[in-house]
Amino acid sequence: MFKRGPVDEVVAIDCETTGLNVRTDDIISIGAVKIRGNRILTSERFERVVRPDARMRTDAIKIHHLRQVDVEHQAPIRKLLHDLLHFVGGRPLVGYYVDFDIAMLDKHILPFIGIELPNPRIDISSLYYELKYGDAPPNISVDLSFSAILADLEIPSLPQHDAFNDALMTAMMYVTLRDKKKRGIRIPRSNSQAASDPFGGQAFLA
Amino acid sequence: MPKAFDAANPPFDRLTPHEVETLRAALDVVYFPPGESIIDQGASSGALFVIIKGTIEERDGTDLLALLGPKDSFDSRALVHGKSGHAFLAREEALCYSAPRHTVLDLIQSNPRFASFFYGDIARKLDEFVRDEDEQRHGSMMRARISELFLHPAAFIDADDTVGTAGRKMQEINSNALFVRDGDRTGIITGMNLSKAVILKCRSTQTSVRDLAHFDLVTLRPDDFVSSALVLMTKLNKRRIAIRDDERFVGILEDIDVLGFLAGSAQVIAGRIERAANRDDLAAAARQTTAQVRTLRRQGIDVELIGEIVSDLNQRLLSRLFDLTAPAEIRAGGCLMVMGSEGRGEQTARTDQDNGLILSGAIEQAELDKFRTAFSGALSDFGFPPCPGHVMVSNPAWSKPLPDYIADIRSWLALPDDTAHMNVAILFDARCVAGDTTLLTEVKAKLIEMARGEQAFLAHFARAIDLFPTPIGLFKHLITSAGKGDAIDLKKGGLFPIVHGVRSLALEHGLVETATDKRIDRLCDKGVLHAEFARELHQAFNFMLMLRLDGLLAESAGATGTLVRPSSLSSMERDLLRDAFYVVKKFREFIRHHFNLGAF
Repeated sequence: MFKRGPVDEVVAIDCETTGLNVRTDDIISIGAVKIRGNRILTSERFERVVRPDARMRTDAIKIHHLRQVDVEHQAPIRKLLHDLLHFVGGRPLVGYYVDFDIAMLDKHILPFIGIELPNPRIDISSLYYELKYGDAPPNISVDLSFSAILADLEIPSLPQHDAFNDALMTAMMYVTLRDKKKRGIRIPRSNSQAASDPFGGQAFLA
Repeated sequence: MPKAFDAANPPFDRLTPHEVETLRAALDVVYFPPGESIIDQGASSGALFVIIKGTIEERDGTDLLALLGPKDSFDSRALVHGKSGHAFLAREEALCYSAPRHTVLDLIQSNPRFASFFYGDIARKLDEFVRDEDEQRHGSMMRARISELFLHPAAFIDADDTVGTAGRKMQEINSNALFVRDGDRTGIITGMNLSKAVILKCRSTQTSVRDLAHFDLVTLRPDDFVSSALVLMTKLNKRRIAIRDDERFVGILEDIDVLGFLAGSAQVIAGRIERAANRDDLAAAARQTTAQVRTLRRQGIDVELIGEIVSDLNQRLLSRLFDLTAPAEIRAGGCLMVMGSEGRGEQTARTDQDNGLILSGAIEQAELDKFRTAFSGALSDFGFPPCPGHVMVSNPAWSKPLPDYIADIRSWLALPDDTAHMNVAILFDARCVAGDTTLLTEVKAKLIEMARGEQAFLAHFARAIDLFPTPIGLFKHLITSAGKGDAIDLKKGGLFPIVHGVRSLALEHGLVETATDKRIDRLCDKGVLHAEFARELHQAFNFMLMLRLDGLLAESAGATGTLVRPSSLSSMERDLLRDAFYVVKKFREFIRHHFNLGAF
């Protein structure tokens, strides 16, 4: 884990939880996918449902569609940590507000191995903010919601609030944003997000 | 993975659920920055790619062949044959699923229907595609609505009316059944009921129809399925069903028309044309011909055969109209010909009038003028719009004595300009539909004889294949399909180059066939076209004709049936269309080389 991961590899990760309070809520599913260069290795994914220590709350069940009965027979998170840590290794972790997911994981990892996750963190919302609003004048309205970023980058929307789908969409956002950054391309702030048509329609007949 | 991977998208819809899971588990997602090469020309590929977002260019050297968009997959040749015919590169940021080669090859091994998508040869792919369509055909017939069928008119008589009145009314409206109104109730009476009453029961023709009518009507709505009608007729042993739209009776559906619809009734229409006593009878038959095309297509009949059937019906129609309108002098000493796509027998839906008249000698002017107007006018009434180029009998340039045509041919060949080339093309595709065939045979023999060996003329003639470039960019999905932007013109980009290239070769070799497919076969016999290539050309042509027919049927109200919207095609059809355009491109190169067009 302290060994650096293979060069040019990161892991996109997302956790579905019983709620948003790190202290009282808990993880119910974990999705993670490795990214090697520009390839998202969906064929080697990590996808687990967990039996949470905390009680499932109705409002959260409405979001992730995992009911008490769906998680009852799953392993508690302690049993999955070994596999997860092995999967992640020393690779940087990519997520949407990734600090929250890591804080949730650290609740269990700290007692398990005595330390918190040391991996470098890459937050999608920060990366997006930098490329879109980095040079913006003050007082501009900023939208960093998951669906806004998704739409802006024209990434197909998969059913959300499934840990693996969220991790995969995060991974697609990451490869897109990283490439834009590498090429020095900023994301335009105009309101129009119409799809570009390189031919201008008529050219189909030309 | 990706549960989100769309397994309903062809060719993956041919996989079993278990195979889909195998495929899904093996998929990765790959990001390509703009300009990145994905598969080099001539290279193999370790994966089959299916586009999630973005646009991929397919290139042959510096030529842009196609733009691929979401759900398109590439490249089967690079995957299966280890060598890509073309290069693929990202035009803009693109995300693709990547299915490992060995996984796809395993699926190809285990699933022949899936495998057919990867055949290198367009002819085999198309065969497979047609077979698949065949399997669906009965389903689509049964999903048709009653309103699409021929209905006998809803005519009423009163229950107090006599048998005689009913019989005369049936004769008058040419129907074998009438609705009978008796106070609040409605019944039906048929010709058979009348006959039986009079002949078998010796009832007087003055008997009222009340006691003879049946009041146990079976009714359906116009938007009910044809299959419902068939089930009701069988179950209740009824030959007729009353069609009612709320309180209003709109017609009577007879079993024979249901069966005719299911089986197709080209022979019935042919009979109606032969028996037609006047223009109105012919007009009715002309309307039925149009409906027939839809039926035949639904039955999964090959588009070539539909073309033949429709041409045959139109030929009978024109021939009968010629008999009805032409004076004896013109009938004996004239040849009525059809030209353009009608002449080639590729007219699958009714379009413009394209016809002419060859006379053996001069005809009295007033009589000729009268016939010209009457004939073209009747066709307009039947729903054949006038030809925009005025290639029709009503135009004196296309209805004149034989020597005048021969003089024309001479001047077209001596002073060839664009109009001359077009006129040669029109006349060369002409086919006689009525009158004296020998007149057209003579004109064509003269045309072939004069064109023989005229290489300069033939080359100029063939050059028209480059009038319209092969459409590229056709596979790009536009988010907004409101405009015409995402439509491609099949006629200009695909059909015309084949028709005209084949026509040029046919003229050079003096072929008398007019249909493009028959010309291709003959050119193959003569060794002008390689057998393998002739088959590809033939199949590509048929496929595009079929797409065009579907377009025409879909837009039968509009006038732009030659436009095809890639977004409305399945990705399988898009893939086949891509192959078909590739054949067109190869054929163009062949024609350019054959006629040495590079010299211009």
